[in-house]
Amino acid sequence: MNQLAPETAAAGPDGNVKIRIEGLRKSFGDLVVLDGIDTTISEGEVVCVIGPSGSGKSTFLRCLNKLEDITGGKVVVDEFDLTDKKVDLDKVRQHIGMVFQHFNLFPHMTVLQNITLAPLLTKKMDKETAEKRALDLLDQVGLAEKAHVKPATLSGGQKQRVAIARALAMNPSIMLFDEATSALDPEMVGDVLEVLRRLAREGMTMVVVTHEMGFAREVASRVIFMADGNIVEDDTPDEVFGNPKHPRLREFLSKVL
Amino acid sequence: MRAGSPPRVETTGRRIRLAYLLIALLIGGLGAGMFAPTAAAQGEHYVVATDITFAPFEFQDEQGNFVGIDIDLLNEIAADQGFSVTFKPLGFDAALQAVQANQVDAVIAGMSITDERKAVFDFSDPYFESGVQMAVLDTNETITSYEDLRGQRVAVKNGTEGAEFAESIKDEYGFSTVYFADSASMYDEVRTGNSVAIFDDYPVLNYGIAQGNGFKTVTPKEQGANYGFAVNKGQNAELLTMFNAGLQNLRDSGRYDEIIDSYLGEGAAVSDNSFLGLLKSTFPLLMAGLKMTMILTVVSIAVALLLGVIFGLMRVSRSLWLRAIGTTYVDIFRGTPLLVQAFFIYFGIPAAMGFQMTAMTAGIITLSLNAGAYMTEIVRGGIQSVDKGQMEAARSLGVGYLPTMRKVILPQAIRTMIPSYINQFVITLKDTSILSVIGIAELTQTGRIIIARNFQSFNMWLIIGIVYFIVIMALTKLSDRLEKRLVQ
Repeated sequence: MNQLAPETAAAGPDGNVKIRIEGLRKSFGDLVVLDGIDTTISEGEVVCVIGPSGSGKSTFLRCLNKLEDITGGKVVVDEFDLTDKKVDLDKVRQHIGMVFQHFNLFPHMTVLQNITLAPLLTKKMDKETAEKRALDLLDQVGLAEKAHVKPATLSGGQKQRVAIARALAMNPSIMLFDEATSALDPEMVGDVLEVLRRLAREGMTMVVVTHEMGFAREVASRVIFMADGNIVEDDTPDEVFGNPKHPRLREFLSKVL
Repeated sequence: MRAGSPPRVETTGRRIRLAYLLIALLIGGLGAGMFAPTAAAQGEHYVVATDITFAPFEFQDEQGNFVGIDIDLLNEIAADQGFSVTFKPLGFDAALQAVQANQVDAVIAGMSITDERKAVFDFSDPYFESGVQMAVLDTNETITSYEDLRGQRVAVKNGTEGAEFAESIKDEYGFSTVYFADSASMYDEVRTGNSVAIFDDYPVLNYGIAQGNGFKTVTPKEQGANYGFAVNKGQNAELLTMFNAGLQNLRDSGRYDEIIDSYLGEGAAVSDNSFLGLLKSTFPLLMAGLKMTMILTVVSIAVALLLGVIFGLMRVSRSLWLRAIGTTYVDIFRGTPLLVQAFFIYFGIPAAMGFQMTAMTAGIITLSLNAGAYMTEIVRGGIQSVDKGQMEAARSLGVGYLPTMRKVILPQAIRTMIPSYINQFVITLKDTSILSVIGIAELTQTGRIIIARNFQSFNMWLIIGIVYFIVIMALTKLSDRLEKRLVQ
């Protein structure tokens, strides 16, 4: 996979652009959460989004698969404009995996059923193939032996790894991570980050909202710093962490590092 | 001798009977080429509505057979004239409405012939001469004439001549009246001491007294009206003709007097009216009633669950229109009394649209729609209790809204719904008793029928209350266990 230079984000239409965000605005009533965001996510990029809480980074992420209604502007994924009513959102979402802070596993199903649900419902996949693929994914996240238990019996880190396997089961070309490690006990964080690291190495296009600055610095190809609904800085990890330009970013880094 | 509310005229045709007649005409005309009008009536079958609590004219005996002067007379007239009859005990008001709505062919329910009623019904020749009489408790020594009623309360039954008579003299004698829907309640009003006397038809009073109901008459009977058999205005003329002919035959043969004597004579046997005696003698009837109650409950709550899921999904929909439909449905059925819903569905809709439905069908529709409205709210609450993240997780995987509901949200919602669902089941079971008003022989109606015969209201309502209690407690315990198992 070709790792793209950060300046590509500002570049024009390109065969490698996966997500194009133009003037994205989002408000809840009078509260403006996203105030005109412009950026692109290119194939193979690992974009980490950091910023203080309330900066709009989770909302930004949730707009990328339209879990949030978009107030204004455009989000174009693989040439499908999510704000176009004629676009089949379900079809687009099948290519965008998402991992949530609170895992959101289906508690009434086994781990295996959690993973095979969407492939069985949305792809004409037979049960045997779906389960074989699910077991394979579980093996990759180190949980092959947990296939037949209910999520309630798993630890937080195990749950999150199941959630990642569930998202990967749809063979997505983009993965969104919404503070995937924030709800975990510290000793669980490492296992989950290890899975993310491996995905990044394999060339997955990823947008990661995170508080793990170490991870961002090590794995990201690009870091976006958000504050007050705007992108304040968008650069390589070395620049963002080693040479912060904007005072808001400096202030933020001084608190979290 | 009910003076009764003047019902509105219904001109809806009986399409089925008309079609039948047309076919009969055609066959008769093509076939033998000779068609006698009387021959058409041979083997004709009629459904006749009647009261349930009007002994000795109509009531159930201990074996659950429908008997009484009206019943025996009409059966013998039918045998004499060669037609057959099915009786539908609906209650007096309901019986009249059923005739007008063409739900039934005729009514015989100790109904007096009045000018008001002649405007909407066609009557037979009079078959019984009645009259209003006053009765007081056997132990009452203070009331011996109308004058003694001053300042007292008197119990009467809705729409009866007894009520009309009491109203006509109450100012003169200075008493007030209180109204009841059936005879049993009217008697109980006096037994409990709330009222001192009743006014009712003399045959009814004397039958009750002969049964040992603890009342006595102290004044002579008033000059009364005549009872008639009635059909809807302009319909079933051949049935009236046959009734009149058969009645005349019975009077001529002396059979008429035998029938009347068998109810108003002095040979009325008094049965064992102790708690245990009653329990034993009425048990089979009560179990039949309970079975009906359970059928109504189970069918209705099953349909209600389906309605609840459909409308519950509308209630949580993102579409304004679907939400509006769901809300309207819930508001209508939670915002009106079940009793009114039952009357509207059983009498109102068929009368307006010109079709018929059985009381059972109407009862199940009513209960299902009513419980469905409450189930809708239970389903809505259940769905909303499921974490929003569940919907988001499934939708983010590209699973559609409805498949997500079916596979992810509803299975979890059901867990939180179970206690409310069980609660609704018990409420619906109790609500079936309201359907007694449209004549469904469920447990409460069975009780009313039995009390109309034996006047043992205290013991019977106690027995019926106990039966309900046992069934509901058993169900509650059973479902508690089920709930524990499911929630795990």
